[in-house]
Amino acid sequence: MNQTTTTPTTTPSPSFTRRRVLGGAAVIGAGLVAAACGSDSNDAISPANSTGSGAGSQSPDSTSMGSTPQGTATETTAAGEESIDLKVAGLAAGLEVLAVGTYKAALDAAGAGSLGEVPPAVGEFVTTAMAHHQEHLDAWNKVLSGAGAAEVTEPDATLKPTVDAAFAKVTDVVGAAELALMLEEIAAATYLSAQNVLTDKEAIMLAGSIQIVDAQHAAILYYVLGEYPVPDVFAKTDLAAS
Amino acid sequence: MSQLAKPHPFDERALGELMEESQDLHTDAMAVGRTTLPDLADLASDRRRAGHVAESTAVADFERDRQQLIHRVTMAVGGVFGVGAISYAFAGTAAAADGDIDVMQLQTAVSIELLAVATYEAALSLPFIKDGNPVIIKFAETTMSQHDEHRQAFSAQTKVLGGTDQTATNPKYTPIVEAAKPTLAAPIDVVKLAATLEQVATETYLGDLNRYTDVTSRMLMASVMGVECQHLATLLAVGALLEGGAPELIAIPLGADVAKLPAAAGSVAFPDAFSGVTMASPPEEGAVS
Repeated sequence: MNQTTTTPTTTPSPSFTRRRVLGGAAVIGAGLVAAACGSDSNDAISPANSTGSGAGSQSPDSTSMGSTPQGTATETTAAGEESIDLKVAGLAAGLEVLAVGTYKAALDAAGAGSLGEVPPAVGEFVTTAMAHHQEHLDAWNKVLSGAGAAEVTEPDATLKPTVDAAFAKVTDVVGAAELALMLEEIAAATYLSAQNVLTDKEAIMLAGSIQIVDAQHAAILYYVLGEYPVPDVFAKTDLAAS
Repeated sequence: MSQLAKPHPFDERALGELMEESQDLHTDAMAVGRTTLPDLADLASDRRRAGHVAESTAVADFERDRQQLIHRVTMAVGGVFGVGAISYAFAGTAAAADGDIDVMQLQTAVSIELLAVATYEAALSLPFIKDGNPVIIKFAETTMSQHDEHRQAFSAQTKVLGGTDQTATNPKYTPIVEAAKPTLAAPIDVVKLAATLEQVATETYLGDLNRYTDVTSRMLMASVMGVECQHLATLLAVGALLEGGAPELIAIPLGADVAKLPAAAGSVAFPDAFSGVTMASPPEEGAVS
């Protein structure tokens, strides 16, 4: 990413305000965790079907992962609960793939000069956040593979079209930061919402640990965008579940 | 003779037996404490060393022992006065609830929030804060208000679970804050102290999550955790700008000066990909005893 000290464009483009982006995200983000957990207790992730197809590939007629000897996420809980934890893991992994891909696309766009001048702090942020999301993805995939499920390598199929459409409108650093904020808020809200349904202790801790870092990403993005960095008294789940 | 002056028809012999049994139960209680508290301390120590929360078997044992003891005490008292069921029901609210791990965690959270409010309040009285950078003033005021709302929420949830509301500031960190106060000579000192408290709050709440049996309490704590961590991120960024000699960049909106932010401002607020629990307080630290 081109990192300069030249003044960036700080006024959100009329066609790409944060309110508009988040409005679209709310529609997409709503119900992600609910959808992951709303099916009956016999639902589970299919290792075969989840390969390369992201969270949207969860098969309702597949078998539970709980009987696998290497299971780590769910082996001490009941069979029905195991599938919920793994579904959340698959959902989270799909979200992380999307985040990594979007930050990578932003870096590429910046490298190609499509975003104009990029402040050093913004460049550093994108590089750092992308690395964090890659680590988050690796962690969730470890959970999945540990339970005998296939790792997720594709972005969340439900959210991707909205992000792609939003990214197509990005023409500057502010637009990229707005899109990043949308992703971070969806991620943080999804991990918060997941606390309602997760049963495995390690998964609860992993989700909480990542929620913190994603919320901190959002705080710095708020600051860069000229807004107060801690806008809410209580973290919300609006973007994760309706 | 008035109703108030009427002597109570208690059985003195039964009372004597009760007192004797009470002494036995006290002895038992001390034994339980000696047995379980070190285990709990070890658990907390292990958890801090490992960087994550260990399986909470020891915590569950601790809670079960306390519940059994409460049951024995209550039934003994009720047996003497013939009101065992009523006594047990009473003890099933406040006394038993205060030994509950969920309640203990909420009480400890309240103690942390109370200390945070007091600390920000003290900071706002310092000349170099109250007459200083308006963004830092707003941050301190807003954050203090947010911590007070967190305190109220944790207190309310404590009562929902039948526990006693904690009204005292955290016993471990209060002396640390008090010792630090005379040394606060510049905004960076306040920022570092506040960041420490925010980190303790964030990591304590993270460490608590998988010990909750009550999902509502867990959700509340995760929701507050998501805000404390943003306080921490903001303080880390502000601290870096102060130490970097760029206090003028602490402004909202920053506008064109975004370009002047040092590269480190894009990463200093989140040094790791995962939050740890090395500074997490154990459940009993701020619990009502």
